[in-house]
Amino acid sequence: MSRQQHREELIKFLRSIQRRDSAIKEVDDSQSLVESGLIDSLAALQIVSYLEEAYKIDFGDNAIDPGDLRTVGTILDIIERVTTS
Amino acid sequence: MTLTTLRDTYRAISQFHENEKLAAWLQSKRAIVWLTPGRRRQILFFGALLGGAIALFRRQSQWRDHLSATSWLAPPLALPILLALVYLLYLAATHFSRLPAAVRRRPQIALHLFFWLIIVLAWITPKEAGAWKTAIFLIAVSLPYLVWRCGYMLLSAQRGKAAGTAFRDHLFYIWPMWGGTNTPQGKGADYLTQCEAQSPDAYARSVLAGIKLLILARLWDLAQLLFETLVFANPKSPLASLLGEYGLGIPRARRILSGDVSVSLLTTWLSLYAELIWETLDIAARGHVWIGLLRLFGFNVFRNTYKPLLAKSIVDFWNRYYYYFKEMLVELFFFPTYVRYFRTRPKLRMFTAVFAAAFLGNMYYHFLQGRTVIAAGELAKIWASLSPRLGYCFLLALGIYVSMLRQQRKRGEAAPPNAGAALPRRLIQIAGVWTFFSLIHIWNLKGPATLFDRVGFFFSLFGL
Repeated sequence: MSRQQHREELIKFLRSIQRRDSAIKEVDDSQSLVESGLIDSLAALQIVSYLEEAYKIDFGDNAIDPGDLRTVGTILDIIERVTTS
Repeated sequence: MTLTTLRDTYRAISQFHENEKLAAWLQSKRAIVWLTPGRRRQILFFGALLGGAIALFRRQSQWRDHLSATSWLAPPLALPILLALVYLLYLAATHFSRLPAAVRRRPQIALHLFFWLIIVLAWITPKEAGAWKTAIFLIAVSLPYLVWRCGYMLLSAQRGKAAGTAFRDHLFYIWPMWGGTNTPQGKGADYLTQCEAQSPDAYARSVLAGIKLLILARLWDLAQLLFETLVFANPKSPLASLLGEYGLGIPRARRILSGDVSVSLLTTWLSLYAELIWETLDIAARGHVWIGLLRLFGFNVFRNTYKPLLAKSIVDFWNRYYYYFKEMLVELFFFPTYVRYFRTRPKLRMFTAVFAAAFLGNMYYHFLQGRTVIAAGELAKIWASLSPRLGYCFLLALGIYVSMLRQQRKRGEAAPPNAGAALPRRLIQIAGVWTFFSLIHIWNLKGPATLFDRVGFFFSLFGL
C-alpha cells in the first residue's frame, strides 16, 4: 500500500472516532489532531489499538511517545517505518 | 458602548499575547534576538546548578529533627554525588542500546530500584558516619524530586530520542532553577524540544504567552485570597480586617470532618464545593508560575491548569486540572500497561491501565512525597497519613474508567442537533463533575480521620 492509501484508511478510521461536536472533513498532514480539537487525548488509545490491529505494531517493545500520534503525518511515519522494516 | 465593543475590548486585553503588532515589536528587541535557544539553555543549565545547590541547603534546614548531628559539609558533599548520579543516568540514556535487555525493557522499574537502593543505603548508614550520614540522608531526601524527571530522560532514551543529546539538554528540566513540585512541569526533553521557540518571532510569542500566565497567576492568587476571606472567613487573611465581616463563614471541610465544628448538611455540602474551587485556584496559580517561566525561556508548553471547572466529564476535568501530573501518570503508568496487558480484551485493558495510573501510580507518587520520612525509614508514619488516599485514588480511577467508557461510546456519532444550544444539559454535566470531585476530595482532606471515618462522613452527606 502507498502512503496515500494508508492515509485514506487512517482518515476513515479517524472519522469513526471523531468528537461528536467536531467532524473531520479536511485535515492537513501536519495539523495537530488534539490541539485542533478533531480528536481528544483519549482517542490516542484508539489510534494505538487501530495501529496494533491493522499493522500489527507492537508498542510493548518500544515506549509510545504520544507526540508521535499527534498528526496524520507522524502516524503515517510510524506506519511507514513498520511496513518497510 | 455596545456589548460587542466590550467583548472585543476584553478579548484584546485578555488575548494580548496573540497581538501581531506587539509580537512584531518584541521580536525586534535586542534581548529577544540575543537570547537564542542555545543561550537560553545555557542560562537554564547554570541556573540548575545554582538552584540545585540552594535547594540542598534549604532541604538540610528542614530535617534537623531526624538527625542528631548536622554539618555544613553535607550539602557540598551531596551536590557532586547527586550530579554524578544524574550524569550516570544521562550516560545510561545516551547509551541505552548497550544496557542489559531487562533494563531496556523496563527502564522505569530499574530506575526506581536504583532509587530504593540509595534509600536503603541511607537507612543502614550509621549515625556515627557524621557528615557522610548527613550527606546520604540529604541525597535520599532529594531523590523523590529527581526520580520522575530522570524517568522522562529514560523514557526519551527508550523512544530512541536521547542519543546525541548533551547533558545540559537534560539537567535544566531535571533540576529546574525555579524548583516546583515533584511533578515534572513541561515533562522532559522530547516535549520541551518539540515546543521550543527557534526564531525571534516564535520566542517573542512565547514570552508574551509567559507574561500572560504570570499575570494570571497573580490574579488567581488574589482571587484565592478573596475567596478565603469571603467564603471561609479566614481570620488570618490579610484582607480579614477589610472584608472579614462580609464573609460567609463556611468552615473548611477538614474541620467539619474532624468534628471541630458542627454545621448543617447544606453548609457541609457548600464547604466541599468551596474546597474544590479553592484547590483549583491554588493549583492554577502555582502551575501558571512554573509554565509562565518555562515560556519566558522559550518553551511554549501547554498550561498546567486550563479551565477545569468548565469540564463536562470526569476524564476532561482530570486532563485540565493538573495536566503535567496526569501526563506523567499516563506516560509512565498508563501507556506501558495499556500496550502490554489484556490486548484482546478492550474493557479489561483500559480498566487495568487506568488503575495502574490513577490508583497505583497516584498512590506511589504521593508515597514518595513523604521524602523526609522515607529517608528516615519511618514508613509506618507515611502509611498513617496516606491510607485515606486509597479511597480517593480508588474512586478517582473508577470515575475516570467509567467516564472514558462513556466518552468512547459517544465518539464517532454525530452530535444531537440541539447539542450546542442545550445550556441546561451542559450545566448539569458540569455540576456532576463538580460533585464527583468535591466528594472524592473527602479522602484527600488533611487530618487524622481514617479511611473508614471518611466513608462514614460521606454517607452522612446523604443523611445515612
